[in-house]
Amino acid sequence: MRRVMVIVVVLVCLAAVVGFQATREVNAAGNPRVFVPSPRFFEKLAPSFRTTIADAYWLGAVQYYGEHVDGDRRLDSLPAMLDLVTTLSPHFIEPYLFSTFALVDAGTPQMAYDLLRRGFKANPRDWRLPFQLGFMAYTFGPKETKARAAAQWFTIAGKLPGSPPFVPRLAANLLARGGEREKAALMWGQIYAQGDKYVRAKAVAGLEAILPTEEQARIKALAPLYRTMPRKDFDALVEDLVAGSTQ
Amino acid sequence: MTRLYAVALNTFKETIRDRILGVIVVFALLMIVASLWLGSISLGQEARMMKDFGLVAVSLFGLIVAVFVGASLLHKEIEKRTVFVILSKPVGRAQFIFAKFLGLAVTLACVLAGMGLFLFLADWIVARSPAPLLLAATAAIYLQLLVIVAVTMALSTVTSTILACVLGITVFAAGQLSRSALSLTELGQSAAVKGLAWLVYVAIPNLNAVDIKPAVVGESSPDWALIAAWAGYLGAYTVLALVVASWLFSRKEF
Repeated sequence: MRRVMVIVVVLVCLAAVVGFQATREVNAAGNPRVFVPSPRFFEKLAPSFRTTIADAYWLGAVQYYGEHVDGDRRLDSLPAMLDLVTTLSPHFIEPYLFSTFALVDAGTPQMAYDLLRRGFKANPRDWRLPFQLGFMAYTFGPKETKARAAAQWFTIAGKLPGSPPFVPRLAANLLARGGEREKAALMWGQIYAQGDKYVRAKAVAGLEAILPTEEQARIKALAPLYRTMPRKDFDALVEDLVAGSTQ
Repeated sequence: MTRLYAVALNTFKETIRDRILGVIVVFALLMIVASLWLGSISLGQEARMMKDFGLVAVSLFGLIVAVFVGASLLHKEIEKRTVFVILSKPVGRAQFIFAKFLGLAVTLACVLAGMGLFLFLADWIVARSPAPLLLAATAAIYLQLLVIVAVTMALSTVTSTILACVLGITVFAAGQLSRSALSLTELGQSAAVKGLAWLVYVAIPNLNAVDIKPAVVGESSPDWALIAAWAGYLGAYTVLALVVASWLFSRKEF
């Protein structure tokens, strides 16, 4: 009898524990305001474990973003979380890139821009950071200067190792759009000199779009390229331009 | 030398018989589960997460072995009364302490080597490139834990097993904060506070100095000459702790 009683009590308690937990709403978003300690606190408290703490907060930030972006869209603590992660681990690139869209969703694009700048200062050899800075400058910058500002960042990104070949072309296009035709022409010249057949065709098309149609003015506009390009490449470019204009 | 070797070997066998190596199996399982889990929630950063959390796990599992085995080593001998048999032979008390330490140091080396190698291989599979710094970081953790073993053994000669465990863990935590004590010496207003903070800074082992965990994830580049110098410091600290342990043990009455 006593044994049966024990079994019944155990089963009832087990059903209560499992049943209660299983019927809770697991997907409910948590509180959007989460306490995030100052990075200085962790720097002083656990210098050996600072990257581990940064990683833990990185995982937390990703979960926090996923939890709230599709729900209440409140990302109050995300800026503090990403600031903590990047301060404790300044060479961890992903949080900077993540901030490009996540902090825009949080309504703080300026902070995303500042964070990316900080990231680029700490990691000046990573092309992705100036590339994202160019993207941010173009998307959120003042209308009059955004093309020029973005072009400057893309130019920097294009010179860094590992950057895809389209980045300098993007920079040249934006320079032209921002009114810097001479700089754009120089950049197209460099792209032409370093590119393959496909890239050269793109460079010729880019130059065609910005060079004047009148012959004298065209020659004058091409003069800076003559000074900056290898002779062989310059001659080939002129040939391509002539062939393009006669077609 | 033979007597030292015999006691050390016996300690090693004894700890291995306690299924200490099971820690490696638990660690391996934890790493496998963690790599699968982290892969899905870290936005493609599983290799970095594995390195970072893996080294913390090596540190914590190693600390558990170092502290719990280190604290019970002498008490077990006393409780089982085997200490009387050993000390009745031509084995000095200091020799006994050093041999016990050596035996546990070898066990700890096996445990850490197992965990370090598993972490290295698991990371190699996930990251698709080897990270030899992981092995160096494991060796640095080993040095830190040797200090903790020596300190815990010294503490266990004068306190109970539980208290020695707690104090051993406290010394490990304090060793990570050593530089904060140094900051206190700069902040202190009175000379007495500054002096006390400096004393604490000198007395606590600076475990943080040989730590290369941040370097493993690319946060810094290790200065090997400096690390070697600090490794020497930790070695000297370990010897000092063992000398204190031997002295305390020699005054102990059974």
